[in-house]
Amino acid sequence: MPTILKSAVIGSGVISKEHLSFLNTCDRARIVGVCDLSPAAAQYAAQKFQAEAAFTDYRHLLESTQPDVVHILTPPQTHKRIATDCLEAGAHVICEKPITTSYQDFQELWATAERCDRRLMENHNYRFNELIQTIARMVEDGTLGEVQDIEVRMALNLREKGSRYADENLPNPMHKLPAGVIHDFITHLTYLALQFMPGEIDRVAAAWSNHAGDSLFKYDDLDAIVLAGQVHARLRFSAYTRPECFTLFVRGSRGYAETDLFQPYLRCVIPRPGGKQLSPLVNHFVNGYELMQSSVRNFRNKIMQRSPYEGLHSLLAQTYEALISNQPLPIQFKDMERTNRLVERLLAEGDRF
Amino acid sequence: MKLLITGASGFLGQYVVAEALRRGHQVKAVIRPASDPTKFSWHDHPNLEQVRLDLRQRQGIADALKGVDAVIHLIAVKSGDFYTQFAGTVIATENLLDAMIASSIDRLIAISTFSVYDYQALGTGKLLDETAPLDRHPQYRDEYAQTKLIQEELYRKFEQEQSGQVTIVRPGMVYGRGELWHALLGMELSQSRWLCVGPNAFMPMTYVENCAEAIVLAAEREEAIGQTLNIVDEPVPTRSTYIRELSQRTPNPPRMTPILWPLMSLLAGLAWWINTQFLETRAKLPGILVPAKLQARFKPLRYNGEKAQRILKWTPKYSLGEAFDRSCSDDDLLTVAQPMNPVLSLSQR
Repeated sequence: MPTILKSAVIGSGVISKEHLSFLNTCDRARIVGVCDLSPAAAQYAAQKFQAEAAFTDYRHLLESTQPDVVHILTPPQTHKRIATDCLEAGAHVICEKPITTSYQDFQELWATAERCDRRLMENHNYRFNELIQTIARMVEDGTLGEVQDIEVRMALNLREKGSRYADENLPNPMHKLPAGVIHDFITHLTYLALQFMPGEIDRVAAAWSNHAGDSLFKYDDLDAIVLAGQVHARLRFSAYTRPECFTLFVRGSRGYAETDLFQPYLRCVIPRPGGKQLSPLVNHFVNGYELMQSSVRNFRNKIMQRSPYEGLHSLLAQTYEALISNQPLPIQFKDMERTNRLVERLLAEGDRF
Repeated sequence: MKLLITGASGFLGQYVVAEALRRGHQVKAVIRPASDPTKFSWHDHPNLEQVRLDLRQRQGIADALKGVDAVIHLIAVKSGDFYTQFAGTVIATENLLDAMIASSIDRLIAISTFSVYDYQALGTGKLLDETAPLDRHPQYRDEYAQTKLIQEELYRKFEQEQSGQVTIVRPGMVYGRGELWHALLGMELSQSRWLCVGPNAFMPMTYVENCAEAIVLAAEREEAIGQTLNIVDEPVPTRSTYIRELSQRTPNPPRMTPILWPLMSLLAGLAWWINTQFLETRAKLPGILVPAKLQARFKPLRYNGEKAQRILKWTPKYSLGEAFDRSCSDDDLLTVAQPMNPVLSLSQR
């Protein structure tokens, strides 16, 4: 009989669909409770994903169900308080990004987890997408050579009518974060870059802008440069460029690889059989073939409603296995600490330009 | 009566406010904070108070309910993903009902929709009236139908557990100025061409001014308490009649390519069979190829508004042709005459 952990979910917004659908199909977890301030939302989620109970008070959920693991999916401003209560109630915590709204809060929360002897993990889901893992392997096995240059670029239509961020009637809580709505995405940009920058960050420059100049958004654009020794990273967020994308370029001393997590493909320009003369030609053919395959794959994924959250399901599966077997979690303290420290440094650049 | 009308700046809500004012009611019109209330010609009527609120948050709702006799609740979100529509339709309703309970207000005229019915349970050509079953398995319907069904559950709970005096009003497809070419007519293939499914089938249409009058009557009539009322304008038009009349009044109307209902139904059935047999029902197909969605839009059925006409003593004021004429005119349809003996504005009291 495999060990089955009692899982609870706090917050039943958009991302809860991914967490709950994983838990609903995972043979290592049973959903003992879902909590939301709205009774109808909690009941809907509990019913749809076969949770055992619905709650509107997370403290009541903790007392009643005594979960082994809690997924915290509420707005970031509430994470620290809820996570602290969950850890102190004896539950491991998987928390949506950003885990806290400041580096100091992260350190304090981590200290709480240590004190309670519980695990704490921030969601770095895109690191576990198949193509990001492929690029990571190409770096590890030396295919790309020494990494020199990284670019992570995200373009989202946040200002488009109908976007949950453009709603002026009830502004999204993300607008109140230190970096406004970009704070909701900056964790992704940061951990993806840091994955390929093992050295200590020594220089950071960031231009935070609100190009539209309205009062709803604090910033709608970020252009940041991060240096760790010889390794350069550019983190770019735009609410204006089209189409929507989430691209990663990793350039090394031997070649480069690129992907787009929203329309997944892998383009990889590296030394190929045929030597220096024929490598460019072989690269064209190989990448052309890969692009055609990606087109078919992406069309199939669209029809079959597969989202870019495949990495989240993989991350959660690994996390539950690690919790059960008492192994290190797939995202460790060092990953979270570096990410949150860099986010803090980027935020500190907010007033420089 | 003093009526709180939610969704007052919406397509139907603006006409309901106008009708309520014309019938001498005092109106508190709930308008979302970012809306421009001055675009409605009733905005400065002395019997009107504007309440700037977003019902997705609880703050301010109880204050708005002070002194109110009844609530006409029109708010629903028709676009965006499921969670956006859930917040705008379900959570907004939940917050309103909680505030009504706290304020001891029990009279509610809840505006629902024909989308809540189970069209697959009805045979072709059958009568759809208030006794038709609700969709109990809406997972294959659109987000609007799903969230409106949950919203109706909240109304029933309010009625049963809080002794709420509820009238559920289910308008058919509401049409009017700016909303004349709509999803029941067919599928837009391009700007100049539509696919018209089942041209000879009846459509449950109600003109927005007619519907607004029925809604205000539902608030006035005690006989309407505890009732569910379908609102359609009789005689209901066929799809081809509606399109012909509308095309006569539309410059460069789209060309309609007709497709018979049995053929379209067969195509959707085949697509769904492939989806269930080979794709684990996970494929996202266009709505027109999903039988549950196709039938909700195009299934040939019969409709009547007999119950609403009887209980509300209501007869639709405008015929189809008159409704199109008004919709296509330059007349201000929201004008409300000032009272003969103006009373103090609500906001001045």
